[in-house]
Amino acid sequence: MGKATINDFGEVYSSYAAGCLDPAFCLLVETQSALRPEVARAVARAETIAGVFFETEERAAVSAGAMDTALAMIDAFESGERCETRTQAATLAGEGLDELLDLPEPLRETALTSFQTNKWQGLTQGIRRLKLDAGSDAEVELYRIEPGCTVPKHSHKGSEFTLVVSGGFTDESGSFGPGDISLKGPNDTHQPTGDMDGVCYALAVRDGGLKFTGVMGLIQRLVGQ
Amino acid sequence: MSLLSRKGCNSSGLGALYECEAAQGKHVSLETTGSDPSERERLADCIEQIAEAQSRPAFAEVFEYFAPRLKSYLMRLGSDSSSAEEIMQEVMLNVWRKAGQYDRRQASVSTWIFRIARNRRIDTLRRTNKPELDAEDPMLQPAPAEQPDITVNRAQLEVKVRDVIETLPEEQLVLLKAAFYEGLSHSEIAKSFGLPLGTVKSRIRLAFMRLRGSLERDH
Repeated sequence: MGKATINDFGEVYSSYAAGCLDPAFCLLVETQSALRPEVARAVARAETIAGVFFETEERAAVSAGAMDTALAMIDAFESGERCETRTQAATLAGEGLDELLDLPEPLRETALTSFQTNKWQGLTQGIRRLKLDAGSDAEVELYRIEPGCTVPKHSHKGSEFTLVVSGGFTDESGSFGPGDISLKGPNDTHQPTGDMDGVCYALAVRDGGLKFTGVMGLIQRLVGQ
Repeated sequence: MSLLSRKGCNSSGLGALYECEAAQGKHVSLETTGSDPSERERLADCIEQIAEAQSRPAFAEVFEYFAPRLKSYLMRLGSDSSSAEEIMQEVMLNVWRKAGQYDRRQASVSTWIFRIARNRRIDTLRRTNKPELDAEDPMLQPAPAEQPDITVNRAQLEVKVRDVIETLPEEQLVLLKAAFYEGLSHSEIAKSFGLPLGTVKSRIRLAFMRLRGSLERDH
């Protein structure tokens, strides 16, 4: 399997718009939409459709004091009673932080947050990965691939979605640039090599050994088959 | 796990509900329950008054319109009455806090508020408690500015999507709603409506092609 194409009547955007897509894939959709205007448009279309249907939503009875509660919450907010957990981004200083700051949102925030607890892990020469905490059961990792360096040949227990964030890589199925998603199934092996035009960052989402019900059909729709 | 995260997504019995309504000749059309253009303008005015003057009467108007709809949406997704009300209150507080970010050229108030509620829901799906970053830290600042062509499209989108949806045949409208609003996958829709998967796909595709065709003719 190769490159994913935009199929905006597919389930990815509709379930994202409705709030039913797994958080790891939300991160993938949101990051790709920061890189690709056509993805941003597909997301905007889906959200607009959802918003129009929201107007036709039924009206559930709210409790008698609901409006007073809302105004009291506003009072509390305005008087600064809200307690904020402030972590100092400045304390995050360390190897790899500068480059994380250049990532598109929302990947940037996820990477910065994860960087507080996880560290870059070296795989082979010029290949590092950072485990991201996307709040999902799926495995989510940020790869950093230096030009000309090759990720060791690997297969996947399940499926792997890899979004190129910057730079690019080439494997047996072709070349992938910023905004492209590479799809790999359980039977695929590959050996991506970083392109020569700069460091490549890529976001990988994998279902690992977890049971991914019905996902093969979804992948096929994603690649437009 | 499934790609479609079903935690709390109450999807059972929807098909039966729609079929029952269709059998009784009821329409799930937008004209009967949706807002009219002057009402939409009024709600957008209210959000601007909240942003500019911290107007509580304006907030009360928005609350009256959206609180019951939000609560119904949240209960449809599987929350019980009291937690739906709690989440609804959080969403409404965010409406107050984020009013300054609302841009009527980009979206109707309902689309904007639905996005806030949707994002709140995605947050609840994130199971781990990650340490919060300080959003105001200057190091973390570059705001993702919306590209101009997307801004234009958003404004046109609202009008076009509404126009097309209002004229869709019922059989397409209910499926579009199940997919884009209820968040059901095509196979879940097929199951709950008792339709072949191919029929579900072709109806959703037809509806979507009309939406997209209408948008692209004007570009």
